[in-house]
Amino acid sequence: MSANIFQPVGIVAKAEYHYTVLLVGVMMLIILPTLALMILFPLRYRKSRNAAYAPNWSHSTIIEILAWGVPFAVTAVLIYYSFTGVYAVNPYNPGVLAKSPGAAEPPINVDVITTDWQWFFVYPDQHIATIDDLVVPAGRRVQLRLTSTSVMNGFYIPRVAPMIDAMPGMRTEDAFEVDEPGTFEGFSTDFSGAGFSWMQFSTRVVAQSDFDAWVKAVQSNPNALSYAKFTQLAHPTVNVGAKPSYFSVPEQGLFEHVVSDALAGVVYPVPDSLTKSVSSNEGKAESTPATASP
Amino acid sequence: VQVDLQGPWSPLLGRLTLDQIPYTNPIILGTFFGAATIGLIAVAAILYFKKAGYLWREWLTTVDHKKIGVMYIIVGLVMLFRGFVDGLMMRTQQVMANGPDSPGVLGAQHGFLPPFHFDQVYSAHGTIMLIFAATPIMAGLGNIIVPLQIGARDMAYPYLNAVSLWLTVAGAALIMLSLFVGEFSNAAWVGLMPLAELPYNPGVGVDYWMWAIQLSSLGTTFNSINIIATVVKMRAPGMGWFRIPVFSWVNLSTSIIGLTAFPVLGVALALLSADRYLGTHYFTVDHGGNFMLYIDLFWIWGHPEVYFLILPPFGIFSEIVPTFSEKPLFGYLTMVAASFAIAGIGWSVWAHHFFTMGMGPDLNGYFSSATMLVGIPTGVKIFNWLFTMYRGRITFTTPMLWTVAGIFLLLFGGFTGMMLSAPAINYTVHDSVFVIAHFHCMVLVVAVGAFAAVAYWWPKVFGFKLDEHNGKLFFWTFVLGSIVVFVPMFMLGLEGETRRLDYVFNTEWRPLLIAEEIGIVLYCLSIFYFLKMIYVSLRDRVPAADDAWGTGRTLEWMTHTPVPFYNFAITPQVNALDELAWRKANGLENVKPKEFVSIHMPSNTCVPVLIGMLSMAMGFGLIWRIWWMAGFSLLAIIVAIIARSFDKNAGYILTAEEIANFESKTELASVIAEQPKRAPLGHVEAH
Repeated sequence: MSANIFQPVGIVAKAEYHYTVLLVGVMMLIILPTLALMILFPLRYRKSRNAAYAPNWSHSTIIEILAWGVPFAVTAVLIYYSFTGVYAVNPYNPGVLAKSPGAAEPPINVDVITTDWQWFFVYPDQHIATIDDLVVPAGRRVQLRLTSTSVMNGFYIPRVAPMIDAMPGMRTEDAFEVDEPGTFEGFSTDFSGAGFSWMQFSTRVVAQSDFDAWVKAVQSNPNALSYAKFTQLAHPTVNVGAKPSYFSVPEQGLFEHVVSDALAGVVYPVPDSLTKSVSSNEGKAESTPATASP
Repeated sequence: VQVDLQGPWSPLLGRLTLDQIPYTNPIILGTFFGAATIGLIAVAAILYFKKAGYLWREWLTTVDHKKIGVMYIIVGLVMLFRGFVDGLMMRTQQVMANGPDSPGVLGAQHGFLPPFHFDQVYSAHGTIMLIFAATPIMAGLGNIIVPLQIGARDMAYPYLNAVSLWLTVAGAALIMLSLFVGEFSNAAWVGLMPLAELPYNPGVGVDYWMWAIQLSSLGTTFNSINIIATVVKMRAPGMGWFRIPVFSWVNLSTSIIGLTAFPVLGVALALLSADRYLGTHYFTVDHGGNFMLYIDLFWIWGHPEVYFLILPPFGIFSEIVPTFSEKPLFGYLTMVAASFAIAGIGWSVWAHHFFTMGMGPDLNGYFSSATMLVGIPTGVKIFNWLFTMYRGRITFTTPMLWTVAGIFLLLFGGFTGMMLSAPAINYTVHDSVFVIAHFHCMVLVVAVGAFAAVAYWWPKVFGFKLDEHNGKLFFWTFVLGSIVVFVPMFMLGLEGETRRLDYVFNTEWRPLLIAEEIGIVLYCLSIFYFLKMIYVSLRDRVPAADDAWGTGRTLEWMTHTPVPFYNFAITPQVNALDELAWRKANGLENVKPKEFVSIHMPSNTCVPVLIGMLSMAMGFGLIWRIWWMAGFSLLAIIVAIIARSFDKNAGYILTAEEIANFESKTELASVIAEQPKRAPLGHVEAH
């Protein structure tokens, strides 16, 4: 499955791609001529070619003005587009989502809690939660709040949503919208320890009716995510292959609870022994996904 | 205050136990025996050829800026090799551990490095390459060349200069030691917070990283003070501000960064050590700590540090391009202005390292704009080099080839850096290997600048040139290797490959991962040609002229080749920017002094190397929490400094007769020649 940023699907990702092309295009206005001079001058003025030689020439006001002026002009244009771009794709409130098809409806709220090394997606309005499986309806704005139980992680779905960090004791936000169904790879981008390489999740964008059916199915799951259960699951776990788990009735205010826990000094320490033997634990983690280590 | 340590502790050995020696790991065991064998052979050779005394008198206790510079560069090259091996292991691990079906050996589920080792390897790679390879090599070049270019006898503070070197060596030695005793940090060269805090990193790895950097950063700060004082106060008569060669100018601007930025790092690391040793909460999540503060402090140092590294190569290119284009540098004044503009803007861009940490669009936009401004003076520099080549007579010696490659790398690195500085793009490739490929372009500018400088100034220091044939093979394999490693890496970054992966889940990336590995093989080949170049050059030793390249323009090419330890028999009078070019134009280049006057020289001292060894012992004691060792080492350092202040040795006098003798037999005064013992001026009261 490709995660190529040249194949954007989400509205925000498409805007990012648009700005990538635009800004690179502006840069080419100066990069390409410079590249041409860089190839031309060393070849043309080789000693063996006996080209024109000006042994004392070292100043030209016109060239000096151009050498400062042209980069200045190009940089000014770049700064202008960088500013419009940063508002268009601002993860907290992407400008491009203001006019999107999903803007008319209330957003789907999802709380993202990263642990070492799994993703909890809590749906406070639907009263369900998952591990490593983000399911959202097409054509709806998805509004995320993110935090972490332990260290920093980076939330990223390359073809869909802008990258944002998830940090312990803090709340960040991200938003995206995808208008056609599909399945996309998501993963952590900010190194978080021994299990980091296996910290992926899938993002499934489904039709609204399928989403509703899925929510119903998960709601009937007897596996409830109480706070006690969460703290058990939040211990360092390598979830090889990102095997999903599903929960009904997540604890009310779990997200806020996790944030205040972190501020109050609740840590899920990574024992030295786990760090050293994470490779041999790998197989074990695979057979019992999403269970806490002792 | 108590901190919760996992594992045993004893008063005598601290946290050190036999299990901390990773003798069961075949890779580390092999490395240990390899290193031990080379070490034993070196020691045996020194004893067999009776060179221990020479080594002690002429090198370990020297205060000569050229010898200190050479030792800086040797340390940097050794660490560059170590860092390269780390890179080779990372690339090999990723190409092996690709996809769920990839096999594993040596205790790893995939590949040959379990995360525990891979994470140390990538952290060591970054720390070593930036702090212990690039920084010492650039410091060494500045040390050798700046006093020669400005017509000075030595650095302003020769003793402090030696202290700087040995502090850097102490840090490098600690990193090397972490291979065989204990472990290295797994929290990246930046010290990812809160990952580097005690709950998530209870081992000694982060402590190794922290104290090694702390020691070397102290050394770098001292070196910056020294360079600033040297350039400001020690210039030869007649050298006004705007007759200073550009390499010395950039060393001034880079040292201002060094002096102002490195203390920030020192403070950040000191606060982290308070967290890890005293149980404070500066950068923890809880009890009012804020790890974002660390990230800010780190990059307030970290970004100026990047320019600290890249400015000296800009100066190197500015010396080499005119020499091999046989023309003065185009736009000297704007080149100087651009250097200081880069150094200045470098202070206001640090937050572009964390656009994804949740700053608002205004702040991200500001830091984006500030970053883009760096492109202006950098562009000016590229144009100035190009217009120096314009209507020149270019000869492509190895220094010039490296320079041209450096300008290309700078263009691509700058272009991708501009991309990353736009948050709209950054949100898609931040923390991906695109970023890695971008800053490797930039640090490769430093690397090729170093290779250019070594080839360019080698004859001045040692009296003979490096072999051009093998030098060119070294160049082409290195450049080809760089392209084959980093072009696929840019592509993988755009495909979304995250940095710091021990295991690569996407099997579609295999062809590009294999391409990167082929590039690494080319790099190995380039190392072979580098060693062959050194071997052939040492074997042939074809004597070089004072003006080794025939088209030199600055003061260092006026004195003898190899440069005598007193630099200039008579301090030169400077008449123009590009003094040697001016003398050639006026037919004065062969005018030699007829009479000499005695020179007051500094004596050698064993205190700096002692301070270095004691700092290393102190670092080791702190890392393993062996309090008696750390305490005694610190006490001994203080005693050594106080004792030295009572030393009445005020240097020695090099007599006019000796100078006259050296001037006719220059090899007797070279940096590798052994000097007779000269009586110090013992009766002068220190003042």
